[in-house]
Amino acid sequence: MTIWDGVQRGYIPGAALRIHESLRLHTGTADVDPVTFEVIRYALMNINLEHGQTIQRLAVSPVTMITRDFQPSIITESGDMVFLGPYLQYFSNAQALTIKWILENRSENPGIEPGDMFVSNDPYVGTPHQPDTIVAAPVFVGDELFCWVANVMHQSDVGGSVMGSFCVDATDIFTDPPAFPPFKLVSRGEVRRDLEEMFLRQSRVPTDVHMDLRAAVSANRVATGRIVALVDRYGADAVKSVMNRVLDAGERTVAERLAKIPDGRWSHRLYAEAAHTGDTGIYTYQITVRKRSEHLYVDNAGTDPQTGSINVTYAGFSGAFLAALTASLTADLAGAYGGVYRRVHFEPVPGTLSCADFPAAVSPAGIYTMETLISLSGAVIGKMLACAEPDVAELAIGPAHPVFYGLICGGVHPTGEPFVATNADNMIGSLAASPAGDGIDFGGHFWIPEGTASNIEELELLWPMLVLYRRALRAGAGGAGRFRGGRGFVEAGIPWTVPGMAAAVYTDESFPKAVGPFGGNPGSAGHFRLKHGTDIAGRFAAGEVPQDFDAITGIEAQVEAKGPMLMMGADAAWEWTGANAPGFGDPLTRDPDRVRADVATGVLPADLAERVYGVVPGEDETRALRAELLSARLAGAVAPAAAPATVPEDVPLRPLAGELAVVERDGRPEAFVSVTGRVVLAVAGGNFKDGCAVLERPLHDVAPEFATREGRAGHRTRYREYLCPVTGLRVDSEIVKEGDEALHDIEIDLGEDW
Amino acid sequence: MYYIGVDIGGTFTDCVLVDREGNHRTAKTLSIKDDPVSGVLAGLERLAETVGVDLPTLLQRAERFGHGTTIGTNAVLERSGARVGLVATAGHGDALEMMRGAGRVAGRPIESVFSVHGSRLPAPLIVPGAVVEVHERVDASGKVVVELDLDAAAERIGRMIAEYELDSVAVALLWSFANPAHEKALAQAIPDVFVSSSAEVSPRLGEYERTVATVLNGYVGPACSRYLSDLESRLATPLLVMQSNGGVLPASAATALGTIDSGPAGGLIGVATLAGAYGHDHVVASDMGGTSFDVGLVVDGKPMVAQENVIDQYTYRLPHLDVRSVACGGGSIAWIDEATGGLRVGPASAGSEPGPACYGRGGAEPTVTDADVVLGLLRSEAFLDGRMPLDRDAAVAAVGRLATRLDLTVEETAAGILRINNMRAATVIRQQTLERGHDPRDFALYAYGGAGPVHAFGYAAESGVREVVIPLGDGASTLSAYGIASSDVVLHRELERSLLAPFDGPALATAVAELRDAALADLAATRVAGDAHVEIDALMRYHEQLMHALDIPVSPAADGGTLLADFDKEYVHRYGDAGTSPFQAVEVFALRARVSVVAGIPIARPQQSASTEPAPTDVYWPGHGRTRTDVYRGAPPDMITGPALVELAHTTVAVPPGATLTAGPLGELHLKEFS
Repeated sequence: MTIWDGVQRGYIPGAALRIHESLRLHTGTADVDPVTFEVIRYALMNINLEHGQTIQRLAVSPVTMITRDFQPSIITESGDMVFLGPYLQYFSNAQALTIKWILENRSENPGIEPGDMFVSNDPYVGTPHQPDTIVAAPVFVGDELFCWVANVMHQSDVGGSVMGSFCVDATDIFTDPPAFPPFKLVSRGEVRRDLEEMFLRQSRVPTDVHMDLRAAVSANRVATGRIVALVDRYGADAVKSVMNRVLDAGERTVAERLAKIPDGRWSHRLYAEAAHTGDTGIYTYQITVRKRSEHLYVDNAGTDPQTGSINVTYAGFSGAFLAALTASLTADLAGAYGGVYRRVHFEPVPGTLSCADFPAAVSPAGIYTMETLISLSGAVIGKMLACAEPDVAELAIGPAHPVFYGLICGGVHPTGEPFVATNADNMIGSLAASPAGDGIDFGGHFWIPEGTASNIEELELLWPMLVLYRRALRAGAGGAGRFRGGRGFVEAGIPWTVPGMAAAVYTDESFPKAVGPFGGNPGSAGHFRLKHGTDIAGRFAAGEVPQDFDAITGIEAQVEAKGPMLMMGADAAWEWTGANAPGFGDPLTRDPDRVRADVATGVLPADLAERVYGVVPGEDETRALRAELLSARLAGAVAPAAAPATVPEDVPLRPLAGELAVVERDGRPEAFVSVTGRVVLAVAGGNFKDGCAVLERPLHDVAPEFATREGRAGHRTRYREYLCPVTGLRVDSEIVKEGDEALHDIEIDLGEDW
Repeated sequence: MYYIGVDIGGTFTDCVLVDREGNHRTAKTLSIKDDPVSGVLAGLERLAETVGVDLPTLLQRAERFGHGTTIGTNAVLERSGARVGLVATAGHGDALEMMRGAGRVAGRPIESVFSVHGSRLPAPLIVPGAVVEVHERVDASGKVVVELDLDAAAERIGRMIAEYELDSVAVALLWSFANPAHEKALAQAIPDVFVSSSAEVSPRLGEYERTVATVLNGYVGPACSRYLSDLESRLATPLLVMQSNGGVLPASAATALGTIDSGPAGGLIGVATLAGAYGHDHVVASDMGGTSFDVGLVVDGKPMVAQENVIDQYTYRLPHLDVRSVACGGGSIAWIDEATGGLRVGPASAGSEPGPACYGRGGAEPTVTDADVVLGLLRSEAFLDGRMPLDRDAAVAAVGRLATRLDLTVEETAAGILRINNMRAATVIRQQTLERGHDPRDFALYAYGGAGPVHAFGYAAESGVREVVIPLGDGASTLSAYGIASSDVVLHRELERSLLAPFDGPALATAVAELRDAALADLAATRVAGDAHVEIDALMRYHEQLMHALDIPVSPAADGGTLLADFDKEYVHRYGDAGTSPFQAVEVFALRARVSVVAGIPIARPQQSASTEPAPTDVYWPGHGRTRTDVYRGAPPDMITGPALVELAHTTVAVPPGATLTAGPLGELHLKEFS
């Protein structure tokens, strides 16, 4: 039988860790008054922040020092995470899992001693993908293991078939970058040169990795020293008690909030395209959350079997969900999330894309599957929160981008030095719309709060390229909604001072993946374009910096979703985009004045105000146009099986989100109802979609923004709108693969066995 | 002859006068926000009274007149600045708006960085839409890639000025610091508005921060210029304007951007000046006020300089004195974190309106000042020289509500509030020192600001410092104004230049000479007379460590070997030898010159206000309980041993049991033996 051992299958620690008896753990506690508690808590939080700042200063790869694709944490002696920093949040439990595995598998041989540090990049143990390298340091007080400090850092290149180590063409882990289970890089304070060189040998840019690895070691030493000083002053038992109380407090906080959510079950489904280079398939990820009393149970049933390179292990799946959960439900804990995790119980289906068994390839996960799962988790959590009491419902923050749009180029500097240029300008980001309002333009990503995009001058200093433009995307169909999603960016560049380079990793989606909650439009798709033999040199000479990719002459390459490495000569030019984030609620219900304000500031072209939002200059004309658009929807839709019944005006509705509400009897939900049309859509235990009119179209027909060429995956996806059968307003919508049934995605438990 | 310094703060305008003998006079008046010139003149009038002359005589006798203004800071925070338009390289006009995707969180307190909820981008600094992108391009080497069509660009900029009714234009082109030709040409071609050029304002790598600096300069520039020339026209002496770099410049040469955060810089420079006279070369300067706690360092007699600054979530680079602020002051609110049951203090503040509960202005939440009143460290009848009696009952009630919930006595709770606030303050002090590889125990701590001297014994002990100095004694609350009066003329000039180790060729010496000449030329342009002193630092790191910089002084001979050795030493000092990297080249990425002309004004000797005989009171000293304590009004001439309170005009010095307080020869107070 395959077990969750971190070897054949992603590691899931058992209830009790099997730690060798020779390793003594500090478990003492002490009474700590409320004042001393705060003094120690604040000190611990600041130690972790200083740990992060040290990494940022000493690292050399932009992905670490600017993008902040790293995470320091403080962890108890037995592997429970106490403090996380404001950096990459899906590393939520990566260090904790790895440390628990180290405790179980390394405490006897080679042993865990003062001054040691372990390194691992094994996704089956705990990291999301191989570039994310963990360095974990045990902190001893006397001869007892008191706690751990650890960090994860994305290393620029750790080998594998593709520059930058996002190996989209990998078919299994043997063509992926090597995965090292935890090894003792630092033994009693000494860096082991043999092991260090073994690790660096795998990289195309060993000098960068060497610098960053040493930054990780130095930062751990700084944090260790600070913790030892804190223990010297207040005593190990007091400091440990504070750690435990911080954990307990996180648990209590999430429990109180979960108590304000009815028991129920919520699901969401998200698709990816292309499992590997050359593939045009569509693949399904699904997450279901069941909430019962003050606990959450999370599974990935419905997810396709593992294949190609679009997999993650248990570490990735759980890390993504926890990142999305804490960002919405408990962000006020500011990284003290370990206690929250105790209330989340994963019930993963192994052998799937989101919980793969060895030897599945996982290395591209950092830009694909992890973001897909964060977006998916956010969507599920948003549905759950919509059913909660208002002070918890308002914590919904909308789904993240389903992909991390990026560009990795590689080549050789004019000096002959090789380079791997990881362009993470998508840190500009954009936040999804939420029940509270519009998403924030260029608002970054909630799962990496301090992430920052490079300056263009930094890119051009580090790598031989010239950026023609980096501009804000305009609003449009992508991201439209009652509240619109934040806007992203578009960037174009050319090789500079070199005869050419290669684009190793790029993203060109044939359809947008993340639908807007409760009838909001999907976000926009990310695109990568490439032209060969351009006229840019001539236009430079003529005094022009080309600003319109369409107007650049040359031969446009046909680009695929996870295509092969593309060679680019000196006269090539590329353009790539981030994305506008998903909207919230039906765009036809957006306040016309807000639409006009976007037109006035140039954010939204006037013709799109009309096409997407049904807004024209006059109030009456707008009302008339919107009425026309709504009837057209209903005319094209399939009416529900039963004739619509409505709820009398004097019956109060409890709004959930957008056009969806419930009517209650004796304080319990009785039926789902549409808000404006007051149509009964289903009994509370049923599927509200059953009572909706359903309008289904190919996604690429919904708006020119979603068009794609024939043969690509986007041609086989459909957009399904669930409409109030009386008003035509969207209650919800789904992006589905051809042939996929409607998802029964919101079930409120009525007390029966479910 | 008088040396005068005037510092406008949010509440008070402080005026300081020093004469040739070092006699020191101060005046404190309420600021007049809508008419700051009148506020300054009212303050000067009061200052004139202290030396028994009228205002015109005072102004006639002023040999040097230094001034720090918050006009620029206020214009940004209240968005009342100029109508600014931006000129950018084609394709890059949106950089300011996109803020590198970090605008939502930049500069926000850590407690709120994790939360999307309620976060937002700051309001724009330019008139929305007022951007002209010009076709021109320079590459990373400074080579012109696309020529600028100056006439066409100037015409479009002219149209933008008219269409958006601009009174200020900021020009920030890509790589302009490497080759400023296009930017200079454009700046000269723009007529009739306030023009800021990025290569002049902030000639550093990183177009976003450089653009922010340039736009900010343009945003606050017109109002600053108007105000400063208005004020100067009322004076008999050329006006010297305080800059955030810790120096002053003639009003004609001062930059508007440099006035932002110049007040705290004035405080730190005042400390550095006095520390030289008091005999301290390593000093932590700490200013605790109503809402914030500002910390700066003096190391080897020099105030520390930082590059990056953030105002209202906009990040920019300008060499400025490194004064870091945390929301922990007298108004910080104490509360209970329900989830942990722990007591917390801040970051929310009751500010001055409604203020602490004891102000009796409707504030009900317990603050640090209320805790002071409960403990007896602040006596209700003695606050601000008795001009503002405090409501002790309100303080006891507010702290008492917390005490009940914590199951502690009201005094224990008040002591706990102080302990936590002190620990927050000490954390900033430790971060400032330790991250530079210094041990706080090697520093003296200077405490000023209204809430500094009363809490200094606590946060000094918490941070490991062994001696507290109340600089200027009774004059501590006007220290920034003294710093402004005594500041040297200082200019910084930076040169972005990448040099890889070993620095054995002539490149280093060439760059240093080039920079020295440019800095001296800058100084000559200000027409300030006097001996110029030039110091040059290399900004160094391992190659490609873009987020890292160590400032290493360049020896006069610009010796590359010494420079490299000094870098290695400093790196190991801070990060340990595991971080050093024989496998990556050391790089000088920029050079910074500081050119100065010494002010040379006498060290201030504040008047010793006659001390009264001590009167007894009861104070609850943390760790000691309620103890009979002597209260002095004014600093006693001889050493006293705590417990004691010394009540000065605008603050109280708390001397805990066993500690000693001694007046120094220059009127400063030394607090020792408190830990």
